[in-house]
Order: sequence, then structure tokens, then C-alpha cells
Amino acid sequence: MSATNPGGIIESVAELLAHALELEYASHAHYAQLADSMAVHHNTAVAQLFRRLATMSAEHAAAVAARVGDMDLPRIPPWGFKWECPDAPEGGDCMDPGVSFGMTTVQALELALHNERRGHAYYAHCAASAAVPDARSLAAEMAAEEAEHLSLLERMLAEERRQHRNAPDDLDPPHTPA
Amino acid sequence: MHDNSQRAAGAASPPRPSGANAPAAQPRAVIPSLRAQAYKSHVKPVWCPGCGHFGVLAALTKTLAYLELPPERVAVVSGIGCSSRLPAYLAVHGFHGLHGRALPLAAGLKSARPELTVIAAGGDGDGFSIGGNHFLHACRRNQDLTYIVMDNEVYGMTKGQASPTTQPDWCRSKLTPHGTGIRRFQPAAIALAAGASFIARGFAGDPAGLTRLLAAAIEHPGFAFVHVLSPCRTYRPEQQAWKDRVHPCGLEPARDIARAAELIQRDDGMALGILFEQQIPVYAAGVVATNDEHRRHTAANAGALAQIEAELCR
Repeated sequence: MSATNPGGIIESVAELLAHALELEYASHAHYAQLADSMAVHHNTAVAQLFRRLATMSAEHAAAVAARVGDMDLPRIPPWGFKWECPDAPEGGDCMDPGVSFGMTTVQALELALHNERRGHAYYAHCAASAAVPDARSLAAEMAAEEAEHLSLLERMLAEERRQHRNAPDDLDPPHTPA
Repeated sequence: MHDNSQRAAGAASPPRPSGANAPAAQPRAVIPSLRAQAYKSHVKPVWCPGCGHFGVLAALTKTLAYLELPPERVAVVSGIGCSSRLPAYLAVHGFHGLHGRALPLAAGLKSARPELTVIAAGGDGDGFSIGGNHFLHACRRNQDLTYIVMDNEVYGMTKGQASPTTQPDWCRSKLTPHGTGIRRFQPAAIALAAGASFIARGFAGDPAGLTRLLAAAIEHPGFAFVHVLSPCRTYRPEQQAWKDRVHPCGLEPARDIARAAELIQRDDGMALGILFEQQIPVYAAGVVATNDEHRRHTAANAGALAQIEAELCR
């Protein structure tokens, strides 16, 4: 599988912000799609949770966009972003383990936590490796914000685990041999 | 044919949480995931959560945005099956046709409306079994179309039967409890033998790589076949392991047909990238023509078609 641009070094604040925006909007698109998908499959509790996560991602995206101001951002082709994973670190992909129409809210939060850890690791990597000091300090700020998001998700996950919600019944299981 | 393109032409709908600062206009113009929103319709996909087809949908919307193709200048045509629901989820012109008939529909549309970017899409059963004969002749005809086949090696919509690309010993269907015992259809090898001028293989779990392939396919003058490995979460859960098995084909630029044939015959079916591409005359309206001739002929024939329609539809 191809990483988009493995080992790439962020060269400027504008390039970092472009990556941050792609990361957050991809995250929003991913959660919104999962929310729609769960709603279609009548998994209401998980649909509502993914909708909430999508809203949080949109808020993060808006916060990054506010930092952009009048700055000109580079136009990067979808395959030209400098991260190791095949899609944005918080964008997830269709290979997310555990995603199914019968998943639980605990599994959904574990997925979100996994994505958020990737986002945090990405910003931490940029904070250590970006070519210019301004980009490194901004990446460090973003990594700190991601750490807050991680804490919030961990609290949500702990609460869900306490509630012991069962997986929804599968009323139409795959027609495969036993 | 439905027209979802008005939604896209009107406005993208970026995520905009209440109370938060709206994203600036400039990011909207340069951020791929934001621009791609403009190519998605309001119809919610019914695909199973975790389906590979979501990766194809995401890659295709990013490709259309990257190429800056106006939604009203793009048409996506499909047959029947899970993957053939794709046109409904896009904010471009769409046609959900008969089983196996995506390619003849797309060919007709391209002949009548040569100015459109026409993309045919479907699954392995639709494209290689029911529509198999159309596939062969679309390859050799080299009309300017892009054909995306989302291959999950199973008929998913009808609850999991073996398809032409299913392994002969796959026995997880009550219809074939001992497997089919039939050798698999080899899409890339058959496309090459049938004369396709662009053959690529992508993976739904690698949306960035797939976006690059789709952009190259759409820009290729002639018939471009993109074989996408797109795992079925529900009936073929073992396909989740594909993410560890896919690898670059290492052929690009792939203009040597002998090398392409050797790789395609020898590889494990998991090699990703452009497997073969060549520039040959594009078919247009019954003649093989150069690109300039193509444009003149198709425009003239479109005019003749409009006259016939005007006369017969009074």
C-alpha cells in the first residue's frame, strides 16, 4: 500500500496548516459517512455517536481555518500529503478494523481513539521535524490540542464501558454456511 | 438519467458547526477533502459500514475535484449491484442501468454527448460475467471512457454468491458449498489481450493511490480500465487482509506491452499501479480518428442526432 509521501518534511507554516485542514476535514467526512451508514442500518446509538464525533471534527477544522486567515495555502494533490498512512491520519479508511453495521458505541469510540492517536502522533512528528521554527511551534500547539481531544475521548470511552450497551441484534445475517 | 449536478454546481456544503467560525474561502478552494464534498449527493449510501466501495467513492470525488471537472460535465453510468449504486451518491449526472450494461450505455452516451466526461462503474459480476462481452469490445474499441470495476470477488447484493473472480475453492456460500471449481477470470490479462490502452489496478484501502490512478485514467485519451480491489466486509471478511498483501507493481511508466503481459500473468493479483498504457487512436462515432478528427466527427454526429430527436419527438 502506498503511503502518500513517506518521510516528507513540512517546510512552512502554510504547508502545516494545509495538512491540518485536510486532516480535520477528512476526519469530518469519515465520521459523517459512518454516521449516515449506521443510520441507514438502524444502529441509532452508534450513528448518534459518529454524528457527535463529526461535529467535533468540524469544530476542529473551523479552529484550524481560523488560524489560516489571509495566508495563501499550497495546493497539494490528494496523493501529495506528507504522512505515512494511505489517507489522512484521522481520516481512517475502509479497512478500519471493527467497523460493521453491528458495532457498539465502545467499538466506535475505540476507533475514534485510534484515529485521534494517529493525529496526535502526526503533529508530534511535525513538531520535531518541521523545517522552520514557526511550523514546529504551531505543530506543538496542535499536538497539545490533540492530547486534549484524546483525554476527552478516553473519558467518553470509560463512560461507555461502564454502561455495558449490547450490540444491536442482526435481523438479517449473512446467508453463509454454518 | 438523473441530474444531481445542480447540487454540486450550486454550492459545496463544507462542514460548518453552529457557533464555530466558518472556514475561510481560500481553504475551500485548496483542501481536497473539502473540495470533494461538492461532488457528493445528499443520498446516503446503503453500503455496509466498512465496505471498500466507500474508499472508491471518496477517491472518485477527490479526483473530480482535483481535475476541476464541472459536475454538469461529468456522467457516471452503472449496471446493477452494490457498487453500481455509485451514481446516486455523486452530484453529477448519473444513470443506473441494466445488469451488465454499464458499458454500452456509457458508449452510447459518449457518442451522443462527446463533451461529457463519461465514467462507467460497477462490480465484478456486473462487468465480467453479465457484461463480460461488452468489456471485451469496449477494450478493443478504445472509445474515450473510464471504466471502474470494484472487485470484491462476490455478488454481495444478492447475499454472497461466487462471482467470476472468486477463487475456485471459496465455499462460504450455500450455493457453492464445495467451491465453484472454476478458474478465476483475470481482468487485467483479458483487458490487455482485448486491446485496452490503459489498465490500472488500485485498492480501496489506499484512497490516495487510487485517486492518482483515477486521475490518470480520466485524463487518458481512450478506454481506461481501472480494476479496484474493494473488500466486502460482510461476505468476504477475510479480504481485510488485502491491506497487508497489496504492493506496487513497479512498472510505471508501463508502456512495454511484453513487460506488462509478463507481470500480469505472473503476479499475485495484488500489484497496484498503472499496469499498461499506450496512446492509440481513439474511437469516435464509427471511425478510428485522431483526436482532432474525433472532435469534429462526434460534434457532427451529435448534431445529426439532435435533428433526428427533434423530428421524432414532436
